[in-house]
Amino acid sequence: MIVGLILALVAGSLVGLQNIFNSKVNEHTGSWASTTLVLGMGFLASLMVGLIVEGGNLFNLQNMQPWYWFSGLIGVGVVTCILNGIKLLGPTYAISILLSSQLCFALLWDSLGWFGLEQVPFTPQKLLGVLIIASGIIVFKFGDRTVEAGEQF
Amino acid sequence: MRGIIFAFLGGAFITLQGVANARISQDIGTWQTATITQFTGFVMALLIFLFVRDGSLQMFKKVKPYYLVGGAFAAIIIFSNISAIHRIGVTLTISAVLIAQLGLTFFVDIKGWFGVAKQQMKLPQFIGIGMMVAGVIVLGL
Repeated sequence: MIVGLILALVAGSLVGLQNIFNSKVNEHTGSWASTTLVLGMGFLASLMVGLIVEGGNLFNLQNMQPWYWFSGLIGVGVVTCILNGIKLLGPTYAISILLSSQLCFALLWDSLGWFGLEQVPFTPQKLLGVLIIASGIIVFKFGDRTVEAGEQF
Repeated sequence: MRGIIFAFLGGAFITLQGVANARISQDIGTWQTATITQFTGFVMALLIFLFVRDGSLQMFKKVKPYYLVGGAFAAIIIFSNISAIHRIGVTLTISAVLIAQLGLTFFVDIKGWFGVAKQQMKLPQFIGIGMMVAGVIVLGL
């Protein structure tokens, strides 16, 4: 369990870092130019590490199902929804909904065990945990905070 | 209302992506999954870009070079995310990912690194982080 948690924490920290870097790129270019660059870099990096780890096996796709090719398109839906959500609601409100929605769907997925992933039974305790995290997100995002350190006494 | 629907669907898509990746990796392997999903996403984004053309090489030259390779983190992100989902399930993985993400942003905001506007954190932000960690402990027990 500890290894799983550490892996998830590493992923989350890099997502945070990547968001900052990507927004820096987006300051100078349009959103589709940025998205294309970001996914292109992700592809190159995965290809290189994949070749180092797997060698020629990287191209051995025996159990490949046709729909696997299209799963990457979900990423385009992610980008469009987040960009439009932030544009219409502002970052605080949009990100709070986005994060809470992720958590609720995660709980739904674990409970239903869709896609042949191992089912993790639903318990009221799990719902309580998700609700506490979602409340924490709202307190974090909507709590008053001062912009610019120069304003402090 | 439209904004709420967009944000809500965005969250659904992010979770769906993690779950789909975890499922696909069972059949073809983790690195194969990362490479293929980034490839199809890249091709799709490139096609849309060729229609809208909202950027040029000149614009990219204005960006500090190391910001341009931020996308490369995706290799480690996808690998870690898939491995974590297999080990601890979707809910706990997504929770830990969110906390680490908010925690890192929180730290960068305080320090004002990467030219981000420095923000002072107040009591609500510390209470919020505390609640999120407590929620993960409740989930993991």
